[in-house]
Amino acid sequence: MSRRIIIVEPRGLAPWWLKLLIPIASVVAALALGALFLMLTGNDWIEVYAKMTDAAFGSGRGFAETLVSATPLILTGVAAAIAFKMLVWNIGGEGQLMVGAIAAAGVGIWLGGGTPPIIAITAVVLAGAIGGAFWASLSAVPKVYLGTNEIITTLMLNFIALNLMQYLVLGSFSPWRDPEATQFPQGRPIIDSARIPEFFHRLDWGLFIAVFVAILAWFVISKTRTGFEYRIVGDSFNTARYAGIRVPKKVLGTFLLSGASAGLAGSILVAGILGKMDPRSLDLGLGFTGIIVAALARLNPIAIIPVAILMGALNNAGPALQSIGVPTATVKILQGAILIFAVAGEFLIGNRFRRPRESVDETPEPAKEASAA
Amino acid sequence: MNDSVLMLTVMAAIGLGTPIVFATVGEILAERSGILNLGVQGMMLFGAVMGFWATFQTGSLWLGVLLAVIAGAAISVIHAFNSVTLRVSQIVSGLALTIFGTGVAIFIGRAGSSPLVGRPSREIFEPIFPQSFADIPLVGPLIFGHDALVYLSWVIVAIASYYLFHTRPGLTVRAVGEDPASAEAAGINVSRVRYIHVMLGGALAGLGGAYFSLALVPSWQDNPIGSAGWIAIALVILASWRPWRALWVAYLFGAAGRVNFTFQTLEINIPSNLLAMLPFLLAIIAMLILASGKRARLLGSPEALGVPYYREER
Repeated sequence: MSRRIIIVEPRGLAPWWLKLLIPIASVVAALALGALFLMLTGNDWIEVYAKMTDAAFGSGRGFAETLVSATPLILTGVAAAIAFKMLVWNIGGEGQLMVGAIAAAGVGIWLGGGTPPIIAITAVVLAGAIGGAFWASLSAVPKVYLGTNEIITTLMLNFIALNLMQYLVLGSFSPWRDPEATQFPQGRPIIDSARIPEFFHRLDWGLFIAVFVAILAWFVISKTRTGFEYRIVGDSFNTARYAGIRVPKKVLGTFLLSGASAGLAGSILVAGILGKMDPRSLDLGLGFTGIIVAALARLNPIAIIPVAILMGALNNAGPALQSIGVPTATVKILQGAILIFAVAGEFLIGNRFRRPRESVDETPEPAKEASAA
Repeated sequence: MNDSVLMLTVMAAIGLGTPIVFATVGEILAERSGILNLGVQGMMLFGAVMGFWATFQTGSLWLGVLLAVIAGAAISVIHAFNSVTLRVSQIVSGLALTIFGTGVAIFIGRAGSSPLVGRPSREIFEPIFPQSFADIPLVGPLIFGHDALVYLSWVIVAIASYYLFHTRPGLTVRAVGEDPASAEAAGINVSRVRYIHVMLGGALAGLGGAYFSLALVPSWQDNPIGSAGWIAIALVILASWRPWRALWVAYLFGAAGRVNFTFQTLEINIPSNLLAMLPFLLAIIAMLILASGKRARLLGSPEALGVPYYREER
């Protein structure tokens, strides 16, 4: 073997400041890359970033819209985080969100107009969670009982859900389609009493449901016995097995809860700002953006809240760029770059560097062979 | 008979299937070396826009194809670096590549004072044989009715299949995808093999993207490729990681894309959304039946697919 100047080896625990620094550095690096890109295409990057900051945070209304955009991202972020933590590669947040929306709108249409708001809202919101969990179960059950790769099944189910949703409103005269909209098909409005009330511009109480879910996820994972068992499974299936934990049950549970969280994002959109199942507004990549949120938050449910606000700010700022002649896609470039840097940064967190000592002939075995699968 | 519904469907299936053939064969090469790349959609879109741009600037189709291939390979290096050198999550890295590539493609299409979006291509790929050849019943259109890239796709499928299953370097690739530690012990540079095949995958995805923007959809739109990149990922499984099967399943789904239109001419009405579900539904069913648990091995799924390889250092 050739002599190496620096040895790279996996490490157990990274210092806390590094775990904070890497995500921040990822965002800064992505912004720098974005600035370079904007300069190369003849744009004034300072103007662009100033415009984005102003649109996302510059006014009460703008910040309210940022939080409106952040709300579903908190939930899809939690969905990705709790699954990834357990090495369940649920990348089906998109589909689970859509089926959650289908279920929520279905209940919201079916309920009678006289249903008291508290019952109607609860029913609609929970229907979304159940719908999301159901859609996740289509991948979770085969994974646990047949060993089917969930990466591919969740991915495929996204497209099935998308087409199902479009079919219900655009392609058929289903109960989800507004019978009064004859020219351009749209979703049928849910009953008024099932709408989540707004409290500041378009911002509604759904934000607090999302924040509550994030805090609950953090509490359960970090502070309870169940969460402890889940963390053991996430670290090593074998350790968990030897400790007498029923791994398949835990994997199934995580998967369903993950789907429920994504489904909740769908129902909060339907019962909140949309008021109906609108296929276009539900096909914005919120599930995939949730994966960016989870990765940047390093799968920590509390950190998901500020990260989702950041991503919401980017999404909210995009359309404002059109007024200065800059493509909205700038936002997608930034989000993609943030995720690329954040995932690359995991290398720095997961490994340490040292100079080789003289005549050292043992290095630790790689400890985490499954964690980066 | 060359105008029969069946023949028109078959021809459309080949046309619509060709870009997916490129992308699927590319992903097969990457996955055979053990790297799952979920960035196909992003690489295809980046290739599509760069190919369109180069042809728009130069008027040369082949320069467009060349740039698309280079662009796809170049952007795939991001994923190779993340998954081979840094050994971080291949899943998250691939998704990142898709988001990034999509953003860059849309941006390039809309940037500047006279953006590409909405513009027709200066040139588009046309059938290369004279019409009189294509007028021969049955074999005419099937053999002589295509543009150059369709023939190129057949050549690439044949080469990829021969390479993987009948050559020593191909055996090396499969060894790296099955058992990188043993491959390394046999003197193979695992990282190099994986880099090369991820980049080949990127190059073919870029080529597939260019087929959309230079042959199928001859004007630039934000997303001329639909969800072809994702379909390619599904088809890798249906093709059980074999290039020839990739050709047939891609044509099958090309046909599914066309069937809607065919059914309408036959006055059978099936909603297009339900047909659009078909490739994804079939991929899931195939996975449940054929690729679950240990059977995935029998089907051909590389053993070390998606698992980062840590070299034994001493």
